[in-house]
Amino acid sequence: MPAKQDVFWYKDAVIYQVHVRTFYDSNGDGIGDFQGLEQKLDYLQELGINAIWLMPFFPSPLRDDGYDIAEHRSVHASYGNLEDFKRFLKSAHERGLRVIIEMVLNHTSDQHAWFQQSRSSRDNPYRDWYVWNDTDTKYKGTRIIFLDTEMSNWAWDPISKSYYWHRFFSHQPDLNYDNPAVREEMWNVMKFWLEMGIDGFRLDAVPYLVEREGTNCENLPETHAIIKDLRRRLDEQFPGRMLLAEANQWPADLRPYFADGDEFNMAFHFPLMPRMFMGVKLEDRKPITEILQQTPEIPASCQWCLFLRNHDELTLEMVTDIERDYMYDVYAENKTMRLNLGIRRRLAPLLDNDRRRIELMNGMLMSLPGTPIIYYGDEIGMGDNINLGDRNGVRTPMQWSGGWNGGFSIADPESLYAPLILNPVYGYPAINVLSQRRTPHSLLSWMRRIIAVRRSARVFGNGSIEFLYPANHRILAYVRRFESDTILVVNNLSSAAQAVELDLRRFKGSILIEMFGKNIFPRVGELPYLLTLGPYQFFWFRLRKI
Amino acid sequence: MTEASTQERSPALRTEVKLSEETLLTDEFLRQLISVGEIDILVGLPTHNNAKTVGPVVSAIQNGILRWFPRERAAILNADAGSRDGTPEVVVSASIDDVQRRDFNRAALRTLHSISHQYGNSMAPGTALRTIMAAAELLRARACAVISPESTTLQPENLQALLRPVYRDDFDLVLPTYARHKFDGLLITNLLYPMTRAVYGLRIREPYASDFAFSDRLGSQFLAQTPWNDDGVRAGCEVRFAMAAIAGGFRISQAFLGTKPHVERHAPDLVPALRQTIGALFASMEPNFALWSAKTGSQPIPTNGAEQQFTLEPLRVNRKRLHEGFRTGVAELESVFQSILSPNTLVELQQVARLEEEDFHYPADLWVKTVYEFAAAHHKAVISRDHIIQALASLFRGRAFTFLVENRNSSASEVENHVENLCLEFERLKPYLLEIWDGGK
Amino acid sequence: MREMIVSELTQAAQELVRGFARFLPRLIVLVIIAFVGWVIAYLLKLVVRSILRLIKFDRLSENAGASQLLAKAALPSSSELVSRLVFWVAWLGFILLGVSALGILGLQEQIAHFFLFLPRLFVALFIMFFGLLAASFFSRAALLAAVNSNLPSPRLLSIAIRAIIIVFALSMVLEVLGIAEETMLVAFGIAFGAIMLGLAIAFGTGGKELAQRFLERRFAPRHEDKENEDELSPL
Repeated sequence: MPAKQDVFWYKDAVIYQVHVRTFYDSNGDGIGDFQGLEQKLDYLQELGINAIWLMPFFPSPLRDDGYDIAEHRSVHASYGNLEDFKRFLKSAHERGLRVIIEMVLNHTSDQHAWFQQSRSSRDNPYRDWYVWNDTDTKYKGTRIIFLDTEMSNWAWDPISKSYYWHRFFSHQPDLNYDNPAVREEMWNVMKFWLEMGIDGFRLDAVPYLVEREGTNCENLPETHAIIKDLRRRLDEQFPGRMLLAEANQWPADLRPYFADGDEFNMAFHFPLMPRMFMGVKLEDRKPITEILQQTPEIPASCQWCLFLRNHDELTLEMVTDIERDYMYDVYAENKTMRLNLGIRRRLAPLLDNDRRRIELMNGMLMSLPGTPIIYYGDEIGMGDNINLGDRNGVRTPMQWSGGWNGGFSIADPESLYAPLILNPVYGYPAINVLSQRRTPHSLLSWMRRIIAVRRSARVFGNGSIEFLYPANHRILAYVRRFESDTILVVNNLSSAAQAVELDLRRFKGSILIEMFGKNIFPRVGELPYLLTLGPYQFFWFRLRKI
Repeated sequence: MTEASTQERSPALRTEVKLSEETLLTDEFLRQLISVGEIDILVGLPTHNNAKTVGPVVSAIQNGILRWFPRERAAILNADAGSRDGTPEVVVSASIDDVQRRDFNRAALRTLHSISHQYGNSMAPGTALRTIMAAAELLRARACAVISPESTTLQPENLQALLRPVYRDDFDLVLPTYARHKFDGLLITNLLYPMTRAVYGLRIREPYASDFAFSDRLGSQFLAQTPWNDDGVRAGCEVRFAMAAIAGGFRISQAFLGTKPHVERHAPDLVPALRQTIGALFASMEPNFALWSAKTGSQPIPTNGAEQQFTLEPLRVNRKRLHEGFRTGVAELESVFQSILSPNTLVELQQVARLEEEDFHYPADLWVKTVYEFAAAHHKAVISRDHIIQALASLFRGRAFTFLVENRNSSASEVENHVENLCLEFERLKPYLLEIWDGGK
Repeated sequence: MREMIVSELTQAAQELVRGFARFLPRLIVLVIIAFVGWVIAYLLKLVVRSILRLIKFDRLSENAGASQLLAKAALPSSSELVSRLVFWVAWLGFILLGVSALGILGLQEQIAHFFLFLPRLFVALFIMFFGLLAASFFSRAALLAAVNSNLPSPRLLSIAIRAIIIVFALSMVLEVLGIAEETMLVAFGIAFGAIMLGLAIAFGTGGKELAQRFLERRFAPRHEDKENEDELSPL
């Protein structure tokens, strides 16, 4: 049982993001379920992660992959029932794995009972639970998020003959957070799950909770007040649980969501991720260091969440136009890959299935300041299917073996919730857990090793970061420090071998110990420390003074 | 427009530069180059105490790179001759990286290195060019531009005009054309351009260029084949470079760079200027005889923008000094001219020298014959070759005087016509040059 | 009496014949040596001529102005002259060698002296030749520099330099040949000193203004020019 009183457990976490539907089908209906997920917990424990983030599994028409929730206190029938979930939760906790679930605060599915009530008539008690207006001109100028599908943030409801506000798909009407009943009910929903024992929430789409005329309707002070209130209640009644914000904003605009440590515990660092990809393609550390230079300090109890890929497209909202054009040209030549100002591809295809680059990116993920999140399937280098609509190309079944349905399900292949990846490069016969477990030098084995090294040093999740700026701009080097630990990380972003001289005079007298092989490297002296790195190679050194 | 004929070019050879014998690359410089790493475009800036003018030039270069080559890996290299006025600091401040936080950092996709290296303690254009070429080769830059620190009127588009033909269109050398005052650069308009055009058959307006761009192929070949230890070679290296491109059959084009700024400080002395230009031209004619002797007439070369423009601001010029210089020269240097010129030409020159200022006229055909006889004498080395070049100075003054007088009130197109006619005269008398080249006087 | 004369004559004749017979082989040797020497000297002349042609000796001597001098004296070209000189000297040397083999005493010493003198002769010729070359080069250089820098009396300057260098070379030649060494040294010293002193006085008094202007132009910026006119750059 993980120590519930370790309130900062999320700083030492390595999170595994997974959708129950994609992982393992136990009952042969072609859709992953909780019983199946429970059976695969051994695999996750072996991988070395210590927290699981579950994508939405609530009853839903599934028109937005579950983010359109139709009922908050239940489990979608395809995935099992509440009992299955409770058993899974218990098993996870027994293995020392924490569980983070989603909660969509901003909106519900239009199939939700509340909305059915709300739209039925203007006098319905639930009417005020959503944002209605007679015209669609209110809150003009607010940007549209799903540019490829939506024309407006207002949708016309033929039943009650008025417009309702939706920042996302038109079948996801926004809840009205000016209504205290809404705020109270949403807390009760969260409480339901907290009492069951879940360890944290990822709160989806938080910037958009409240709308005000004359603003861009994002990040408003009222929104922050609501979050503060939720956090206060959480800390009072359920200490040691965690709130994670999903807010795709510039770091400076994200800072308010940490407030004084009394709003979110964690938030995703969205702008860093495209810049890591950019830096590797440009072979220049400038995009990465600059965004981290612009990242503000956050309260000691708070933490950034870092990730390479997730279930959504690789978003290019938070980059300049030149940068976006460059990213499109180098990572998404094929226009089918582009969606909503982003690129909908998995990690391995983005990096041309280059094992060295995959390792480098994971190395940076694990050593930059924050809690790393691994997207399911990326630990074995799964591929994507860009011909599936929306972002479903990166949400294909987990590939367990080279056999029937890739070991995902015993159902007919045609009845799977999504087709398997079949091509000779990324298909399940080539990329699967079974073959990689047997190979000591597979990507999976390597991921296990790096996670183990990451978890062996608390400095990665808790330490400060200081960049070194060697003259060779292809080298990204930084020092992490926490308590008595000092770790030097050196990354070669170039496809060619590089030589770099680092100014380590502050650490004069320290011996460098390479953290994977534990071999000693020369001691730091007066002269610049010369290192040579192979293509895309990286080093983690522990600095030790004896 | 037809291009000059080309010959088969070998693919770019990544030959290793022999470093052991070079003191050209100090350890510190080499360390800087290692940090810059492989690049696509290098812009070289040879300087010596140019702090007054180099700021706008560097700014134009930086903007040119950011605007026209945002995705390319680029670097600026300052080859400095020991400036004391802070010139290198101005150039180095143009670097864009993650250490200094500046506004345009966000507009730049990549790091832009701007480094400075002191190659000596006094101005040496040959060594500066060699340094830039060596760096371009080590850094494997596909295109390299050299920009004069006095080109204050340079625009970002001009950088693109110089580099694009090399970087994208597979040219090897891009030379500039300018809008210049009709009396500026007389040595070029009256001697270097017409003679280069007649001898090599290419209408290169500015064979002595201070702003130009070249490819890795041409740079590597020139770097390897030039005897850099020879002082004379280093002095005339700019013209030598253009000659090497012509002789090697490389693809040459021109780009219009707008107005050439008037040189603010003391204009170069005539004799060193002659050495750098005509000296190098005459020297190039030695090994390339087979190539130029076969050419007749001349071809235009691809030009982006105007070929040349003349501006007409009023200029006060001391013409009398030129007239005096010519007369004195013809009188005092008779013994030298006897070794160089044919008896007929010498007699004609002496007749011209007897004319007063108002009647003075150094006709084009006599000038052409003079120059050709000098070229032949240089080839046969009847006396020391450097002395031959020096002796030409006085005669050039006479020609310059005539040009000034002829074009005193001319419009730009009239001046262009006069220059064109002079060129045609050079071309017409080329058989005479061939006749006297190896034969008697 | 008659028999005494006859027998004396016979004896004398016999001695003469004997002496002649003793002498004859040496004469034959001399002839052979002379003949062999001629062949070798001729080959040497050919070799020297090719070498001189290879190093373009004629061009050099043209530069020195020596060719012009030779042409005026209706002599053949320098390389031809040198190779012929080599031929004659070589042949002469062999002949003398043969003569010394004859065993005539006094002659041997003189011949030895001759051979000792030979190297000095060559050195002297060498010095003279390169002296002429240098004089020609530097006088022309001075002429051109003076004309291009607008100095007055360029030709005078040029001739003065040529004279100085030739005098210098000449005195070196005479010293090497050992002809009136000290006299020449002193005479040269006086002449050179006088020329220099004269130039200094002339420059110092009469050329004061010139010197001033010259120095100004070299080391001070040209203000006066900028006031009256715009600068033209030849490039």
